[in-house]
Amino acid sequence: MSLSREIYNELAAIVGSAHISDKPHILAGNRAKTPDYPMEYKSAEAIVRPGSVEELQAIVKLCNKYGIIFAPMVSGVMPTAFASRPNTIIIQLSRMNRIVEINEEDRYVVIEPGVRHVQLYPELRKRGFSYTAASVGPGGSVLANFTSTSGDHHTQHGNSRANRYLLGVEMILPDGEIIRTGSLQTGSGWFCPDGPGPGLRGIVKGYNGNHAQFGIITRIAIAIDPCKGPAEPEMSGISPHHTVRMNTPCSKVIIYKFKDIDHLRDAMIKTGEAEIGSTVIKYFYLPATLMMTDSANDFWKMWTDEHKAELTMPLIVHLATRSEEEMKYEETILHDIAAELGGVRIKREYEEWWENHMDFFMIVSRLQSVLRLGGGWAPIKLASDSVAHICEVGKNINNFIHDFTDTGKIFDAPEDYQIIPMEYGHFAHIELLIMWDRTDPNVMKGVGEFRAASRQTDIDNHFHAEMPVFLSPGSMQIGPLYSNFHIWLKQLKEAFDPNNVANPMM
Amino acid sequence: MYYPKSKAELQEIIRAAREKGTPLVPVSSGTPHIHGISANEKAETLDMSKMNKIMKISRDNRYARVEVGVTFGELIPEMKKNGLRLNAPFLPRANKSVITSALEREAVLVPKYQYDYTDPLLTMEVVFGTGDDFRTGSASGPGPYEELKADMVSPWGPGTVDYQRFIMGAQGTMGIVTWGTLKAELMPTKSKLFFVEAEELSVLTKFTNELLRYRTLDDCIILNSVNLAKAFSDTAEEEQDILKRAAPWTFICRICGFDRYPEKRIEIYESYFADICQKHGIEFKSAPFGNLELAAKIDSMLWDCDRRETYWKVKKGDVREILFLTPPSKVPYLTETLKNAVSAHPAEDVGITLQPQVQGRAFRIECDLFCKSSADVEELAFNAETGLLKNGAYFDRPYSNICQEVYSIDPVGTESLRKIKNIFDPDGIFNPGKLCF
Ligand SMILES: Cc1cc2nc3c(=O)[nH]c(=O)nc-3n(C[C@H](O)[C@H](O)[C@H](O)COP(=O)(O)OP(=O)(O)OC[C@H]3O[C@@H](n4cnc5c(N)ncnc54)[C@H](O)[C@@H]3O)c2cc1C
Repeated sequence: MSLSREIYNELAAIVGSAHISDKPHILAGNRAKTPDYPMEYKSAEAIVRPGSVEELQAIVKLCNKYGIIFAPMVSGVMPTAFASRPNTIIIQLSRMNRIVEINEEDRYVVIEPGVRHVQLYPELRKRGFSYTAASVGPGGSVLANFTSTSGDHHTQHGNSRANRYLLGVEMILPDGEIIRTGSLQTGSGWFCPDGPGPGLRGIVKGYNGNHAQFGIITRIAIAIDPCKGPAEPEMSGISPHHTVRMNTPCSKVIIYKFKDIDHLRDAMIKTGEAEIGSTVIKYFYLPATLMMTDSANDFWKMWTDEHKAELTMPLIVHLATRSEEEMKYEETILHDIAAELGGVRIKREYEEWWENHMDFFMIVSRLQSVLRLGGGWAPIKLASDSVAHICEVGKNINNFIHDFTDTGKIFDAPEDYQIIPMEYGHFAHIELLIMWDRTDPNVMKGVGEFRAASRQTDIDNHFHAEMPVFLSPGSMQIGPLYSNFHIWLKQLKEAFDPNNVANPMM
Repeated sequence: MYYPKSKAELQEIIRAAREKGTPLVPVSSGTPHIHGISANEKAETLDMSKMNKIMKISRDNRYARVEVGVTFGELIPEMKKNGLRLNAPFLPRANKSVITSALEREAVLVPKYQYDYTDPLLTMEVVFGTGDDFRTGSASGPGPYEELKADMVSPWGPGTVDYQRFIMGAQGTMGIVTWGTLKAELMPTKSKLFFVEAEELSVLTKFTNELLRYRTLDDCIILNSVNLAKAFSDTAEEEQDILKRAAPWTFICRICGFDRYPEKRIEIYESYFADICQKHGIEFKSAPFGNLELAAKIDSMLWDCDRRETYWKVKKGDVREILFLTPPSKVPYLTETLKNAVSAHPAEDVGITLQPQVQGRAFRIECDLFCKSSADVEELAFNAETGLLKNGAYFDRPYSNICQEVYSIDPVGTESLRKIKNIFDPDGIFNPGKLCF
């Protein structure tokens, strides 16, 4: 079904004809473009680019009236930002890209959806502040990162995931009405997400975001914190041959490798108990290697057993302190912990790589190189619980992954999972990253089997290792295992979006 | 009055109440119920105090899971035995339920450990008005509670909705919580208390706002002389003595060290503290008005709850609290507004406490109007609340009459909350008339 001319004209009247298109080549260029899956994607019926909340509200009201599905988009990194079914328009929000307020005294910023990390991060850094930026890279929308995705990030050991930093939210419901959460609801400012009484913040985001299934978010406030270290890191070279350094004695990267996940776990817990370290992370060794190299040839040269041994069980620690004395204190504790647990310092050249790429701890400008090999990739598991439980989940991966890595169904990197503790080790997040050869016509069958095996192992072991996502046929299936959340989620969706127009997945 | 002892009994009571249309009002703490129990005369009380098991305390993973009837008086010593402390409110009464305190988003003593307003409550089990049970966050599954290997500490979800945020702050209108998991912190091996006294509150709030950015302080609280005297005295003479000698405002904070090099940590953090004091022209002391005995008493009381026969807030008979949140920048203005609004009440009966929350991003301001009966000061308090609301104070936990004012500001928001209520308590049996339902 294509949009009628009348509706198209009504949309054009809202945004102006320069900001709407249904030209086939424009629509074709805006199909979901992840190279991971050899799939055919649908085109939207039109793309509209509102410039204000009022225009956006009028578009949503119109969609609700005529039963047209809408999917909001900023950079379109996520496939959920595109048309997944007929009768869909894409609402491209990149014109709404104002940093509305930077409030240094009360430590928050208010932003529109189109604000990217590359826009916000430097603006804050030069004022001595930073925020919890995802590793999506500079082009990602900060708002989509905070509201639509997991919000986990590299530096959450010393702070937390984005959920904790999402403050006031202004959102257009699927019927076009605007809600404001927390203190905004009573006109008391942006600072508090919760209440009055029970809060509407609950429908904005749970463990992960709902990808506009309850409406379009127009402005959010996020909490900011002073950053330790110089406001401007030293940069040189041109990407991807660039370096970003913190030339100060108050910033240091120290990496220890451990015999196994049990020892790594204990080291994570002990650094958390001592409340030291700005970043503590067991990072994936495959993306780490991709980030360290510039081409497939370089990658294969580096991907040796000796290299893998260095990065299989690493505890990557970034110490950032306010004084040299504090640095000495934190370093001493870290070395003590490593010594107690048999940690071995890895080759200095690896530590140097991280020290030369401090963007890993900021807005991660290099991570897009994960895609560079041209392979398909997907994050699997994605859940959080105590460090101990999450490490148990990680340990168990070895019990089922070899059937897939040894047979070439997925890339042979069985330890390619990351664990990032947060709130000084009160919880940790896990992500298993798998890659595959997308030129192989049968590959998706193997990947599907792997996903199923991973999920089944966790269910059989009673591990909390894969948090269900948004309302979809998949979540209806696993809902009974997760407190029947699917029943409540469906009722909430029906109450707020009776016409099922807000980016439905079922 | 019902006293369920298990989830199954609770579900049965809810089913029967639903059939008969009997409203249920849950309580979990012992008396006094400062914000009143029931707004509905036909309601039956659902007393949860018999569900009072400490289910698990984990030193290694730093949490405690307890049933809703467990009180601060019971839990704090058990935590200590395990080398742990709760991020608890300031001197809660010993018979107060630990879980309902967190459900109410009561202010906690250590802002640096609080990452958002739901902290330190991590996960919970709740029975909705339909009789269905539900677990939040990583307690949600997969599978039944008894089989789940997770520690059930991750607060978010399940899935894309934060169900705990519908239940917290709901004053029992959305569902009845049976147990909750609370974040715990390690008991320090060494700690040091500091005091700053000030004539003007604005001096302290500005300095606190900078100080908390360092994330080096544990306990952190500001009290006016009335609340300092009421909270930390055991006799009327002692109270009068503190009241006479204390500065109008006292800031109290603590710096801690843990197992590894605790002295060094305290030394480094104290040097940061001293630098900031110097920058603001502030002198810090080891005791209020040189009273070392009082300092030692405060030090030990801050680790515990109020175990005295008469809870410190009701020494006079009753108390009417005015509670709101505000970002740091608005603290001086709103505190002045508050003081003016309650100036008709005798000054020696106006206690004010300010607690920086969520890493210092906001302050919870609490005004305690000490009185014989709260009914006597209701009009004064309500007028003060109305004025504060107009001036931007955020009543995130609206009690009594101010509720209506709060919920009338944004009809779309209020209607949206009602949609949620209709899902989780479709027959409206939980605490009807309490909030906007
Ligand atoms: C290599 C890579 C690494 C990543 N790492 C992380 C990570 O470490 N942590 C993490 O949390 N995420 C991560 N992500 C996900 C990433 O954060 C998000 O995909 C990104 O922030 C989205 O930005 P975008 O501009 O591309 O959003 P889009 O793809 O345009 O949108 C993302 C989703 O948000 C919805 N959306 C967009 N705007 C709105 C709005 N205003 N209201 C409601 N819904 C809206 C869209 O419909 C879509 O469903 C990663 C992604 C990639 C590709």
